[in-house]
Amino acid sequence: MNKVLYIIDEKKDTNYQYNICEDTVIYHFSIDSSSKVEINLLTEGVTLYYYYNNINYGDHFLNIRVNHKESNTHSELYNHGVNVENGKLDYYVEGCVPKNSSHCICNQENQIMNMMDGKSTIFPNLLIDNYDVDSNHSAYIGKLSEEKLFYMMSRGLTEEEANHLLLNGFLINSDSIDLSKIKKFIKEIKKI
Amino acid sequence: MLQIKKMSCSTKEDDLSILDNFSLTIKEGETHAIMGPNGTGKSTLAKAIMGHYQYKITSGDILLDGESILHLTTDERAKKGLFLCMQDPTVIDGVSNSEFLRTAKTSITGEKENLYSFIKNIEKAMDDVSLDHNMLHRSLNKGFSGGEKKKNEILQMKMLKPSIIILDELDSGLDVDSLRIVCENIEKYKEENPKASLLIITHYPRILQYLKPEYVHILKDGCIQKTGGMELALEIEKNGYSSMNTISGDESNE
Repeated sequence: MNKVLYIIDEKKDTNYQYNICEDTVIYHFSIDSSSKVEINLLTEGVTLYYYYNNINYGDHFLNIRVNHKESNTHSELYNHGVNVENGKLDYYVEGCVPKNSSHCICNQENQIMNMMDGKSTIFPNLLIDNYDVDSNHSAYIGKLSEEKLFYMMSRGLTEEEANHLLLNGFLINSDSIDLSKIKKFIKEIKKI
Repeated sequence: MLQIKKMSCSTKEDDLSILDNFSLTIKEGETHAIMGPNGTGKSTLAKAIMGHYQYKITSGDILLDGESILHLTTDERAKKGLFLCMQDPTVIDGVSNSEFLRTAKTSITGEKENLYSFIKNIEKAMDDVSLDHNMLHRSLNKGFSGGEKKKNEILQMKMLKPSIIILDELDSGLDVDSLRIVCENIEKYKEENPKASLLIITHYPRILQYLKPEYVHILKDGCIQKTGGMELALEIEKNGYSSMNTISGDESNE
């Protein structure tokens, strides 16, 4: 990958627009914030990986749209959120491939964990106007898996330790993330 | 010593009775095997001992060295020396094998081993069970084959050093060579820790030929119907469960 970007939002609503002309990875960490993100893939053959990791307490949203403006472009979106209290968390995730962009790959994976009784919704949309596109989406909203907690606790981890490891793995979901760049976010995970 | 005294166990969700008046005593250093047809409660027994969230003990008791463990959480039971080698180990994405095992070992022993010594020990244990060192840095059980998952369970056993080991269908998903390797590791562990006890849950006598249990129990209708030695396992393999003459479980197992 040619370009790597780190973004950390904390308690502020943000708007981002990216015009991508070279292979790029964006790590977007969000603490109790809403974000509107528009990404244009402008160069043929360019690849984008977008990791959005979000800790939510109030009522917030992520609205992200990827426009495949050229052929052979490739997008992979991984949106993970933890809705800690009773807030409302909505993800609107759109991948758009127009008729004149061929042989594109447009994928998205979305997951939200509700720790309490928060209301979460995911709208995973693929707006595809072409027959030769490879495109997948997934969406999951739920609680931390009791089976995973049992497995970890059966090896001696307390519920708190098991929860922490699971959330850490869920919210820092790429081995390539430079942890020194997201210290503030790691601190926030510990508070959950 | 693990004592299960007239334990009845049901599912929490729909109150379905699975184990009924089940009794079993496993003394220090003993190896017991439990066989039985599908759906008779073998895995439920293993999970109930570990305090699984889906089951409730409706009567009876489980004692570890004379003390009831029913009020203990699953991690507290593990810290007391219980270890369940799972039939289908859970995949945990995003948590590396090494991070998980180091946290578990710190929890069990109460001391954080220095990283160098931990890596040396775990790499030696991985060599013993024929697991590639790269698996240490992969997400726990993610993308592991059935055999690798079972070897990883035995790796955890070797690192956490439990005193009572429950093997829930360890032999399922293992080829003959892998089965030999994991059984050799368990035998070696028993030699090095002679007070450690084993409870083997299985459908097949092959694993028992390696681990040589002193007692073989047949579980049916929620309780032990018959107890014998290795010859009982061989008889079951030859004739099946339907030909078995049953006797009362309580006297034979307590």
